[in-house]
Amino acid sequence: MKTLSPLAQKYIDRFDSALETLPGAGDRNISTLRKSGLEKFSKLDFPNKRIEEWRFTNLASLTKGPANEDQPSTPALKHDAFKADYEVVFENGVFSKEKSRLEKLPEGVRLTSLAEELGGGAVFSLDEDDNRALIALNTAYMQDGLCLHVSENVEVPGVLAIRFVTNSSEPQNIHIRNRITLDGGAKLTLLEEHEGNGHYFVNPVTMIHLSDGAELKHYKHQNESLAAYHIALTDCEVAANASYKNFTLTHGARLSRNEMKTSILGADALSKLDGAYLLDGNQHCDTTSLTEHKVSQNVSEQVYKGVLAGKSHGVFQGKIHIFPDAQQVSGDQLSKALLLSDEAQVDCKPELEIYADDVKCSHGATSGELDEDALFYLQARGIPTDQAKKMLVAAFLGDVLEEIENDSVRQYFEVLSASWLERV
Amino acid sequence: MLEIKDLHAEVGGKEILKGINLTINPGEIHAIMGPNGAGKSTLSYVLSGRDGYEVTGGSVTYKGQDLLDMDPDERACSGIFLAFQYPVEIPGVASATFLKTALNAQRKFRGEEELDAMEFLKLVREKSKELDIKDDMLKRAVNVGFSGGEKKRNEVLQMSLLEPDLMLLDETDSGLDIDALKVAADGVNRLRSPERSALVITHYQRLLDYIVPDFVHVLADGKIVKSGDKSLALELEEKGYTDISAA
Ligand SMILES: Nc1ncnc2c1ncn2[C@@H]1O[C@H](COP(=O)(O)OP(=O)(O)OP(=O)(O)O)[C@@H](O)[C@H]1O
Ligand SMILES: [Mg+2]
Repeated sequence: MKTLSPLAQKYIDRFDSALETLPGAGDRNISTLRKSGLEKFSKLDFPNKRIEEWRFTNLASLTKGPANEDQPSTPALKHDAFKADYEVVFENGVFSKEKSRLEKLPEGVRLTSLAEELGGGAVFSLDEDDNRALIALNTAYMQDGLCLHVSENVEVPGVLAIRFVTNSSEPQNIHIRNRITLDGGAKLTLLEEHEGNGHYFVNPVTMIHLSDGAELKHYKHQNESLAAYHIALTDCEVAANASYKNFTLTHGARLSRNEMKTSILGADALSKLDGAYLLDGNQHCDTTSLTEHKVSQNVSEQVYKGVLAGKSHGVFQGKIHIFPDAQQVSGDQLSKALLLSDEAQVDCKPELEIYADDVKCSHGATSGELDEDALFYLQARGIPTDQAKKMLVAAFLGDVLEEIENDSVRQYFEVLSASWLERV
Repeated sequence: MLEIKDLHAEVGGKEILKGINLTINPGEIHAIMGPNGAGKSTLSYVLSGRDGYEVTGGSVTYKGQDLLDMDPDERACSGIFLAFQYPVEIPGVASATFLKTALNAQRKFRGEEELDAMEFLKLVREKSKELDIKDDMLKRAVNVGFSGGEKKRNEVLQMSLLEPDLMLLDETDSGLDIDALKVAADGVNRLRSPERSALVITHYQRLLDYIVPDFVHVLADGKIVKSGDKSLALELEEKGYTDISAA
C-alpha cells in the first residue's frame, strides 16, 4: 500500500470518531455516503504535482504536517461590508441563525443549512465527483453549507449574501457543501464572501443546477486570512436558455484554488466566468476551469486578470471541451496578468478539446509588466510615481470589473481592489 | 531659467548627446531644428527625466536648481512640460481623470488647494473650447484611438491646463493640418509671458511663422552646430542641413 500524506492519514484515522459528531450521525444513508467519500479519498490522497491538473499548485505545505504556523496570520483586508438585501452567515463553517437576515426573502425561496438537512434525514444522492479527491474528502467530512432552492419563475430582487467567516485560534479544517438549485425561469444574484483570521483550511464545494431559462449571477469575494488555505470547487449545470455568470475576486489566503466545472446542457445557454486576483507576498492563487459544451448552440466566455506583487504566484488553467456534435458553439477565454515585481510569477495553460467542426473558439494568455512609456507619460505630467503606478493597475483591472453586471457589486469590488492597491 | 552646460547623454550604451550648451532666459523662445536622429527628442527626454537616458557628463540648472537631481514628476511640478513627439496611449485611464489627477498633483505640490470636480470641469471645458477640442474626447481613454492630430492637440490642451514655466515642444506641429497648426500655435502663444520660456523642436519653418522664436539652433549629431535668429530657419529651409553644418 502506498503511503498517504500525513494530513490524509489524519483524516482517515479520525474518521470513525468524526462520524459520530458530524451532522447526520446515526443516519445510515448518510454514513454510507460519507464512508464512500472517505474510501475514494483514501485511494486518491491529496493531489500532488505529478497530477497534470495540479502541476502548478503544490499542496505539500498543507498536507505534509500541521498547518504551517510560521506563516504570519495577517488578518484579511478590512473594508466596509456590502449592504445585501438578505444575508446568510456561517461562523467557522457553521450556520448562524442569529447573524443571518433572511426575513425578507420572497416566497418561493427555500433556504436551509446542510447540517439541518442532514440531521433531518434528507436523502442525499452522491454528486458527481469525477475522481476529484477534494470533493470526495468533502463528501466524507461535510459539516454545513447552504441549501438553496428557488422555485420556477421566482425572481429574487436584490442581492443575497452568503458570508463564511472563520476565526480560528487553532488550526482547523472546514468542509462546506453548498447546493444551489434554480428551477426554470428563476433568477438570483448571489454574493459569496469568505473572510477570516488565523490558520485554517477551508474546502467549499458548491453544486449548482440551473434549469431552463434560469439566471444565476454568482459573485465571489475571497478574503481569507493570509495564512489560510482555500480550495474551492464549484460545479454548475446549465440547461437550455439558462445563464450562469460568475465573477470571482480573490485577494486573500496563503494558497487558494478556484476550480470550476461548467456543463452546458442546452441550446442558447451561457456560461460566463470572469475574475480578478490580486496577490502579494508569497500568496498563491490558482484558477482552474473546465467548460463542457455538451450540445449545440451555446456560448461560454471567460476573462481573468491578475495583478501580482512580491513573490506571489498565479495560475490559470482553462479548458474548453466541446463534445461531438455540439455544433455552433462559441467558447472564448482570455487570461492577462500584470507582474509588479521581478519575483512574481504566473503560469497559464489554456486548453481546447474540440470534437465538433462548426465551432468558434479562442483563447489568449498574456503577462507583462507595467508599461514604462505610460508610466513616464503620467510622471511627466506631475503625477507621483506611486500614484501613477496605481492608476495604471486600476486601468488594467478596469475592463474586467466592467464585466460585473450588478452595479452595487461592481462598485463594491472596485472599492475592494482600490483598497488592496493602497496596501501593496 | 535653464542652463545646459556641456551635456553628454547615452541611450542604450550609445552616446547621443555629445556636449550641448544652451541657455534659455525667462520669456525667450528657442527653436531647435536638425536632421532625423540628431538627438532632439533625446534632449527633451533628458530634460524631463526619462529612465534609460543616462547623463554621462555636464550639468543642467533649472531655476537655480540641479535639474538632473529631480524625479520626472518633481520636474513637471516645478514647471517643466514636455509635449511628446509621440504621445502615449493609456487604455483604461479616462482623459478627464488623467487631466484632473495631473493638475491636482501639481497644485498639491505647490501647496495650492486642489480643484473639485466642478471647478475642474469648468476649466477644462474652457481650455478645450479655445483649442477646438470636443468634450467627448475627455471621456475617452488617454490618446487611445486619437488621430495623430488629435493627440498633438491633446498635448497642447494639457499644457494650457498645467501652465508650465518651461515648455518643451517636440514636433508638436507634425501631424497637424493647417488650421489645427494655427489653433495649436495660438494655444502656445496664449501662454507666452515674460516669465515663461519655450524650447520648440521642429522640422518646419512654417510653425515658426506662428510661434516666432528669439533664437534658432541647429542640432546635428548630438551637438549644437549653429545658432542664429529666426532668419536661420528660413536659410535652413532653403539650403538644408548639409550646407549649414558644413559651413
Ligand atoms: N533606446 C535606444 N537605443 C539605442 N539608440 C537609441 C535609442 N533611442 C534612441 N536612439 C537613437 O538615438 C538617436 C537620436 O534619437 P532622437 O529620437 O533623439 O532623434 P531626433 O533628433 O529626435 O530625430 P527625429 O527628427 O527623427 O525625431 C537616434 O539615432 C536613435 O536611433
Ligand atoms: Mg524626435
